[in-house]
This record gives sequence, C-alpha cells and structure tokens, in this order.
Amino acid sequence: MAKLCRQDQLDVLVSEIESSKSDPLPLIEARLAEFPEDGRIHFLHGSVLASAGRLIEAHDALTRAVTLAPDFPLARFQLGLFQLTSGEANEALDTWGRLDRLPDGHHLRMFVEGLRCLIRDDFRGAVQHLRNGIILNQENTPLNRDMQMLIDRCEALASDGAADHASETSLLLNRFSKRLN
Amino acid sequence: MTGPQPGTGLKLIVQAQAIEAALWRRWRYNQDTECRLILFDQFSGFARKVAASELRRRPSHGLERGDFEQLAFGGLLEAIDRYDPLQGPPFEAFARPRIVGAIADGAAKSSEGGSLFAYRGRIELERLQSLEATARATNDHISALSELVAMLAIGILAETAKPPSNEDDPGEKLDVYETVAWRDLQMSVLSEIQRLPAMQRQIIEQHYLQGVAFEHIARLLGISKSRVSQIHRAALTSVRERLKIGE
Repeated sequence: MAKLCRQDQLDVLVSEIESSKSDPLPLIEARLAEFPEDGRIHFLHGSVLASAGRLIEAHDALTRAVTLAPDFPLARFQLGLFQLTSGEANEALDTWGRLDRLPDGHHLRMFVEGLRCLIRDDFRGAVQHLRNGIILNQENTPLNRDMQMLIDRCEALASDGAADHASETSLLLNRFSKRLN
Repeated sequence: MTGPQPGTGLKLIVQAQAIEAALWRRWRYNQDTECRLILFDQFSGFARKVAASELRRRPSHGLERGDFEQLAFGGLLEAIDRYDPLQGPPFEAFARPRIVGAIADGAAKSSEGGSLFAYRGRIELERLQSLEATARATNDHISALSELVAMLAIGILAETAKPPSNEDDPGEKLDVYETVAWRDLQMSVLSEIQRLPAMQRQIIEQHYLQGVAFEHIARLLGISKSRVSQIHRAALTSVRERLKIGE
C-alpha cells in the first residue's frame, strides 16, 4: 500500500508554499522524496512547475498525479485544462471523462461542461456553464478568476461582432500563409 | 454574415508557449514525427531570416538566396533533432549558431568544389525526375508530354500562391500571376492539395509552399528521398486528375 502524506502535513506544505518568498520547489521535492506515490504532492509539484513556466515537467507531474490519484477531481480537472491550453483538446476530453461521475451540482462538472462547449465553439453554452460553475465554487476562488477570464473573452468575441467576413479565398490563402510565417 | 471561424473557441484558451512545449514534449519524448514537422514549419521563417542575414554578411561564392535557405533548413533540422527542451536556452538561441554553421559549411564546400548549388536548377531537376516516370510509362509521347507539362504547371500554380516575402521587391508590378483567372486556378489547386492524404499533402506543402528540397523533406518525414519523389508524383497526378488539367 502506498505511503501517503497525512492531511495535516499536506496543509503545512501548502501554507509553506503560499508564504514562501523563495522558490517553493525544494519544499515540495523534499516531501515527494518522502511520499513518492502521493498524487496530491505531485499535483502541487505540477502546479508550481506550471507557474514557473517549466511546462514539460509540469505536464509530467500532473499526469503522474492523476495516475496515482485517479479520483482526485481537481488534479484531473487541471491536467485537462493544461492539455487544452497546450492545444491537446482530445487528450483534455479523455482526461475529463471521469469527472462526469461527480454529483450534478459540482462546480468542476460545470467548468468541464463549459470548456466542452468552448471546444465546440458554443460560446453561449460555455458562458452559461462557466457562470454556473463560478456560483457553485466556494472552495477554489483562484479557479473562478481563470474561468471569469474565459467568460470575458467569450463575451468580447460576441460583442465586438468580429464575425469574420473573409471570403473563402482569403481564408484558404491565410491558412497557407500562416505556415510560412 | 458568417459566425466565428471553426476553432475560435479553442483559440480563446490555447497559449502559444504551452503549445510549443507540448510539441517539444511529443517530439522529444514520444517521437511524434507530426510534431517535428510542425516545429519545422514554426521555425522555418526564423531559418529564412538567418539565411537572409548571412547572405548579406558573407561572400556568397555564387550561391543564391534559395541555396542559403536550403542550407539553413539543414541546420534547422539538425537543431530540432539535437535540442533538449529541458536544458539550456530557448530554441532559437540554440538553433542560430547551428544554422549559421550549416550555411558556412555549405558555402565553403561550394567554394572549394568550384560547383554551385544552383538551387533553382536542382529543385526543378528533382521535380522533373520525379514526374517523368509517369511519362515513361506510356508509348503515347504526346499525351505523356501533355501530362508532364500539366503536372509541372500545377507545381507552379501552388508555388506562386505563396504570399511575397519581405525580401521581395515591393515595387514589383502585377503580372499574369496576379490575374483573376490565374488566382482562381490557384485556389482550385490549393483546395485539392488540402484534400490529399496527409503524407502527400505534407510533401506538396513543404516543397511548393515552404520551398524545402526533397532531401530535407525526406529527413523531416523519416523516409527516403526516392520515396518523397514517388509520393510527390502520386500527389500531383491525383490533383491533376481531380481538376482534369491537361485532359
């Protein structure tokens, strides 16, 4: 059986990361050396690596977190979000699949539904689900900020009427010219 | 009025830095050759800029801009294969000295051998050799010639669909290549290229739209140069048949 970090130890680690004025990675890596099979610490590791712009390592850490703790919803949600921002929409949809087992009113389910709408270019559906998710989410407010930013982008798209009037010709040429720049 | 283009939702959330990291991860650690191709596309403009700057800086030894670009593409491929995204500098800083080195080596070899790369002539010869196998397969020399000309024309149509680069003369006047009829034909060719199977499309796009020689495409796709030549022929035959050009 995997040796897991106690919740109180984890809480201390999180508060140390939050209050740390220097690089928090050594703190996390020390805990990881002690609890290499604790998906929650890998998740923290991945989140900090992503913030530091070390994206390849962040992906590895988040993937490891989900492998070790498949029913840890936040890690699964964040890995999917990471994949989506990396242009890996199919992988994101696969990762999120298991979140459909969460209860109906769970904010992560709402966020996932909103992001699925976004992938389908259903902006109205995206805004509606993301808004509902924000209302339901009381436990992770930074996530609400990220989702609100997405809502703002969807609304800006709708309001500036930036519907593309480009002709078929210019669209096709555009596609080729993009490959040349 | 049309709605936003397909994929607009994804564009709202993807981040360029994250996409590039994913491409390096998938190429470097999963050997995903499609990602290598995308990385090559992404940095080929950078390689061209280095080539243009080297062309201004060093003696050309009779080489043309196209020759410098092919040498730069060789250096770029080398850099993509050697780059470790977990170590060292950003890719462009890593790649620049390798591209410059490849150009310097190529220019020196050209100078020593007294032979020119003659990029334009070489690339046209490659195309012709690729296409003439089709012509040889028949005894009807007139229709074989007509077919060959049609396929060369398709190549020219695709090649001239490239938007002019910054290096081109901005004062150049419109000519036959900018006429409406020519543009329409180009659009048809470009549409058909998009409908080709992936490998055929990649080869045609790299060769005609990016200006990459067969040898570099072969390396990029991990296949032999003769295989590139065969696929090139099959692709142009397919476009010609669909558009009924030369029939």
